Amino acid sequence: MASGNTLLIFSPQQNEPPASNPATFDTRNAHLVLDFDAATNESAVFSSIMPRLYAGGGLTVYIHYAMSSATSGDIDWDVAFERIGDQQQDIDSDSFAAVNSVDNTTVPGTSGLVDIVNVTFTDGADMDSVAVGESFRMKVTRDATSDTATGDAELVKVEIKET
Amino acid sequence: MAELDETARTAVWTELMRKYSADGDTIGINKADLRAAVNAIDTYMNDNAAKINNALPDAAKNSLTSAQKAIMLSYVVLVRYQVEV
Repeated sequence: MASGNTLLIFSPQQNEPPASNPATFDTRNAHLVLDFDAATNESAVFSSIMPRLYAGGGLTVYIHYAMSSATSGDIDWDVAFERIGDQQQDIDSDSFAAVNSVDNTTVPGTSGLVDIVNVTFTDGADMDSVAVGESFRMKVTRDATSDTATGDAELVKVEIKET
Repeated sequence: MAELDETARTAVWTELMRKYSADGDTIGINKADLRAAVNAIDTYMNDNAAKINNALPDAAKNSLTSAQKAIMLSYVVLVRYQVEV
């Protein structure tokens, strides 16, 4: 296993909301989603273990989202990793690496259509050096203070693929 | 009454976006355009408050409080445009 394989899939119910400005649960036609506000940068955090099939390459994070109401404008997403590992991170504190972003994506012209955007990470410090078999967290943030689309963004799923 | 300050206008703008999101209303303009519209409405209300007040019959104009007149104005506007809140 290596490049091109799906490593992990996250759903809204796996969110471990951060203490400040968390994305909030909502439903849309019985689809569970996470709402990200249009005026405040809000985040969702997902934790897991890097699967054994991970071959040590870079990662691509696919964000599946829809807009609650916007049919124009653009959206910005930030993603960051935090290695917890084997005695690497004291979980009393946070230590996310710098964010990587996908910016200025024009939102779908129909509210409710799910768009997929991706953020890439190179192996190493870019993804906080998360290694196979180690636990980690990934934070997904809507950069609402920079994007232009009105209303909430609804996170539907997140996939991590080995690039 | 002066125009709303930036904090108040921001509060209106964000609350509008949250309402549109909650209602699933389609919005075809971006955040900057929506904010400009909020600012424009506030400026218009500021510039025309006296004109609206003077349109009221004397009994209402002289007896109702500003808050009561504001609620009356908002009710009439909402009903005229068939908006449910």
